[in-house]
Amino acid sequence: MNLETVRARAGPRAFSPADDLPEEYREAATRMIEFHANSEIMGAYLERPFIRQAPSIDRKLAYSAKVQDEIGHGQLLYRAAESLGVKSREEMLEDLANGDGKFLNCFHYPMESWVETPMIAFFVDGAAMRRQATLRRTSWEPYAHAMDKVCFEEGFHVKHGEDILRELMTGSRKERRLTQEAFETWWPRIIQFFGPTDDRSTHHDFAVSVGLKQRSNDELRNAFLDQYIPKARNYGLEIPDEPRIREREDGTYEVEEGDLDWDEFFTVAKNEYEPGREQIRGRRTAQEAVQWVREAIERDGAAGSHAPRAAD
Amino acid sequence: MAGSFEASDGLSSRERRALETLLTRLGDDEFVLAERYTEWQVRAPSLESDLALANNAQDELGHARLWYDVLADVGLDERALAYERDPADFRHGTLVELPFETGDWADAVLRSYLYDVAEDLRLEALTASSHPKIADRVGKIRSEEKYHREHARSWLERLAEDDDGRGRLQDALDRLFPHALTLFEPAVPPRLGAKASENDVAKAAAVDADVVDLGLRTATLEELRSEWLSIVVPFLESLDLAVAVDRDAENPEADLDALLPDARGRDGAHTEAWFDLHDELTRTYRELGRTETTTIMEAPDG
Repeated sequence: MNLETVRARAGPRAFSPADDLPEEYREAATRMIEFHANSEIMGAYLERPFIRQAPSIDRKLAYSAKVQDEIGHGQLLYRAAESLGVKSREEMLEDLANGDGKFLNCFHYPMESWVETPMIAFFVDGAAMRRQATLRRTSWEPYAHAMDKVCFEEGFHVKHGEDILRELMTGSRKERRLTQEAFETWWPRIIQFFGPTDDRSTHHDFAVSVGLKQRSNDELRNAFLDQYIPKARNYGLEIPDEPRIREREDGTYEVEEGDLDWDEFFTVAKNEYEPGREQIRGRRTAQEAVQWVREAIERDGAAGSHAPRAAD
Repeated sequence: MAGSFEASDGLSSRERRALETLLTRLGDDEFVLAERYTEWQVRAPSLESDLALANNAQDELGHARLWYDVLADVGLDERALAYERDPADFRHGTLVELPFETGDWADAVLRSYLYDVAEDLRLEALTASSHPKIADRVGKIRSEEKYHREHARSWLERLAEDDDGRGRLQDALDRLFPHALTLFEPAVPPRLGAKASENDVAKAAAVDADVVDLGLRTATLEELRSEWLSIVVPFLESLDLAVAVDRDAENPEADLDALLPDARGRDGAHTEAWFDLHDELTRTYRELGRTETTTIMEAPDG
């Protein structure tokens, strides 16, 4: 299939591993899904300390399950990416460990306190939900299929994140103050989750033309603002003055993009933001520490046998 | 004696003390081991083993909930048991509180095996418990523990096939075995609720005798330990691992007692690592000045 045919036939779940697809398509799809899979892993890495720091057993259970779900999503997405025949899961995980693999901006920022957890678990996951819901109609069928399960589980995560936010914002004065402070820190990053305006987005046009991407960054960001600004206010959070948010006559919102720090965003995107590099290194150290297990298993005669064993 | 636990309000102080002591040792083991297992989340050797360990952690946490919940009948809630209890009053064995050294997957699978075999034996001894809630909850827990045991055994077999893997298992075994023996030590009655004076090491054996005498558990700790040894020692030896017990010795019980670590957990003495862990897991609760714990799931039935 050549690129013209791909463009002509591009539609929801139009292509599968049975199709002979041009390299441009397979590479673009790999880049997009790999980014998504990496983000699941780095999101899990960021949230894992809060399994321990959760203030009740049920919250702990929910956090452990959430982190486990993210790893499961990573597994599913790497498989969907692998099926394009460009890169193996091992290569993608290796790239993520050595700092070449890219992932979502929000997961480059460290999280230090429980009051920050809903910033990820409610706002970022809520933003991710919006994007992922549209990806159920992406043209690479294995990716769309993975999104069915991911969206289903993310729905629970967002509900849990919302419940944590509600609890904090109906808690003590101190809890409300700390949560507002965390919100002010995270709010610009959350808005930047959707990336720059479409005309500054490098890969946007191609991804849309071959049906990989269904909605533009701007459309998704605006839809997110329309939904989450009222939610945030409803829980008693005050929207920071910057970036300026314009309310249109019909009650929808638009952000003044120039107020956001795009230099920082692109530094983050290139894996050059120091706290983010720290996250990458931390995960890499953890992976290197269990390298001996992978080697021991390869040596013990299991070479070539990828059949799952009970020990998986 | 059996049947006297049908209603919780008429318990004698002897019954109550036996019940509290049994349930804290059960619940604390599960709670603290789960906490340690979660350290492997996003750090396991593969995505698949990451998911498996997370499952184990959540299962153990669920079991801790089940055991702690039985104590709700005597007025002890999660807040009192997990978040506001003095860490020195936890009664888990030291096996479950030791931190995992970075990357020490051999420790993770061996510890899981040693624990899960012991767990299965003690659950068996609770199936006919005189406390109806305890007996009812055993079935659900046992079905999950069976999977944990298979998972651990399978990993042990795989690692032991490799020289480096077996060497690391042996190191882990030498370190963990004495701590595994603490699982079979009698627990000093914890100071729960108003009874703040009872922290008497000498009472531990007597209270555990009460646990059996009252039919709460139908086997003694000595019986459980001896059964445990008859399972784990031959299995580990079949993997070419050396276990520090000579079962043909003249006085094997005395040899085992000599192996026990100074701090056994059950006696209220813990390693430093436990106090650090406790500090970390109660950090949010303390820093936010919480006075209650959020429940999002319904209390277990029965």
